[in-house]
Amino acid sequence: MAAVSGAARGGTIEVRGLTKRFGRIAAVNDLSFTVQPGRITGFLGPNGAGKTTTLRIVLDLVNATSGTASIGGRRYRDIPDPARAVGAVLEATNFHPSRRAYAHLRMMTIAAGIPAARIGEVLELVGLTADARRKVGGYSLGMRQRLQLAGALLGDPGVLILDEPSNGLDPQGIAWLRDFLRHLAREGRTILVSSHLLAEMAQTVDDVVIVSQGQLRVQGPLSALTARAHSAMRVRTPEPDRLAALAHRAGLVPRPLVPGTVLVDGATPEILGPLLAANQVVVYEVVQVSQDLESVFLSLTTSMSDSPAARLQAQGPAVPPAQGPWGPTTPPQPQLPPQPQWAPPAGPPAPPPPPAGPPPAGPPAQSPEQPQR
Amino acid sequence: MTRLVKAELYKLRTTPGPWVSVLVTILLTGLGITTAFIVGHHGVVRFTAPTTTTGLRNLVGAGYEAGVVMAPVLGVISITTEYRHRILTATLLLDPRRSQVIAAKVAASVVWGLFMSLASFAMVAAMGIPLLVAEGGSVSALAHQVAPVAPGILAAYALLAVYGMGIGTLVRNQIAGVILALGITLVLEPIIVAIFSSLAHMDVNFLPSRATEAVAGGLVPKGAGNAATTGSVLLSWWLGAIALVCWGLGTAVVGYFLTFRRDVT
Repeated sequence: MAAVSGAARGGTIEVRGLTKRFGRIAAVNDLSFTVQPGRITGFLGPNGAGKTTTLRIVLDLVNATSGTASIGGRRYRDIPDPARAVGAVLEATNFHPSRRAYAHLRMMTIAAGIPAARIGEVLELVGLTADARRKVGGYSLGMRQRLQLAGALLGDPGVLILDEPSNGLDPQGIAWLRDFLRHLAREGRTILVSSHLLAEMAQTVDDVVIVSQGQLRVQGPLSALTARAHSAMRVRTPEPDRLAALAHRAGLVPRPLVPGTVLVDGATPEILGPLLAANQVVVYEVVQVSQDLESVFLSLTTSMSDSPAARLQAQGPAVPPAQGPWGPTTPPQPQLPPQPQWAPPAGPPAPPPPPAGPPPAGPPAQSPEQPQR
Repeated sequence: MTRLVKAELYKLRTTPGPWVSVLVTILLTGLGITTAFIVGHHGVVRFTAPTTTTGLRNLVGAGYEAGVVMAPVLGVISITTEYRHRILTATLLLDPRRSQVIAAKVAASVVWGLFMSLASFAMVAAMGIPLLVAEGGSVSALAHQVAPVAPGILAAYALLAVYGMGIGTLVRNQIAGVILALGITLVLEPIIVAIFSSLAHMDVNFLPSRATEAVAGGLVPKGAGNAATTGSVLLSWWLGAIALVCWGLGTAVVGYFLTFRRDVT
């Protein structure tokens, strides 16, 4: 990969109490977060979470209803020569289709007072040298994204703000973008990249800012989020109380789902299988369910009231990828009589939750969490 | 600011819209040149070289009508392209001071208006002079009428481009901008002038089209006004220029406050 010129050091992006209302709808609601230099921060949330609006406020394209957004301590409009300080990749439609890619970048260099020689460098960086004289109207979405990135890099900025940059990129393009952003972050730049797909960003970002419905859900290092991902076993049994007590004694965290079904957090087939066998617990069904990173993300960004996925989440982790140690277990569903709600068994007190450990997978978070650092 | 103006000029010259406007201006000028050779004499219409002052000035300023139509179109294009192709985002990222962006666009419209006008004069030179020679006219007589006519035409083109740019800032939609800019000068204004003239006996001569006529007043021999076509007296050229500047900058400023400061989503 060609070297990025200069050794730009990025400023900190600070968003404080940001609110943006469109009529009666609050697209962004009292949002605060900080983006540090030298790291890639993923700005994550489902579609309509307010990510684009927030980024456009940071870039002074949209006026905030209240609150502030600054880059390196200044509002975007107060940054002298902003193209040299901040590079932005927004939607890939901001081109005149009849203008050639080179001319688009040349127009930018003229406005920003950047030498034209830089155009060749950034075109090479994004791999568009051979297509520079083509009209942008003939570009694929992925090529437009690359051209946007080339434009953002013209001023060798210390801060990069990218809104869904992987849209339209093929898997190789996404891998390329990941390496590229890593490279830029290592140079000390501040990189804020939004996406509605955590899975896509999980290998790229150092920190996450997760928003939903315009509000902050969580901010912190990705590792804190990863710690929430874990395995669990769902067991359907006629003796849920006994199973819960056994699991509890084994240091696992049993939780009721529906009558006759227990979710054993922290359990794997290798742990639960011997436990059930040794204690001769009758089971009708054992399924391994893993709360993966995406599920954690979903549980953070959806609420019980607004999504079927959330309702699914409320009944337990959503993804049952693997089967139990006994192979496919699809016995006929017995019509069990209604049972009283399962309660934690009497006996030894519940162990304290593991330090900094994952919270139990259950109903999704209903309120924004405090920043973790 | 210089950088912004340069960037705006570069933008205009790297897209087809302005060039198409210039091309249409040249073609319409060709039509104007042909018209200048159609001379009525004692009730007989003939295709011959103009010899009167008015006839020669009409030949020098054969691109006047083309400018009345196409300079506002160019102005509308210069701003509405930003919205049509969503380039405004890129423009404002490069310079978030929106008033500066508008000012740069005004300057770029003036430059392109002048360029358009020069293209029109080039057409007069390329087509009008050979025709004049072929029809036995006097090139030196024509040359004598350049000085009284050319500055007014140049100014009219430039100011009409700013007027179009102001209208474009106000409405943002390209088609609506062109329709409104031309609708005002070619349709609405004659109606308003006629209504005020017949009902209130008022001479409404400060609207864009009449102001443009005043600016390009050299086309008509001094003292004659333009009474032959409208029955009213034009403003002096400098008052006409002020009126046209007010129309252009006024709509741009109103557009700036009403629409240009809005969120760019």
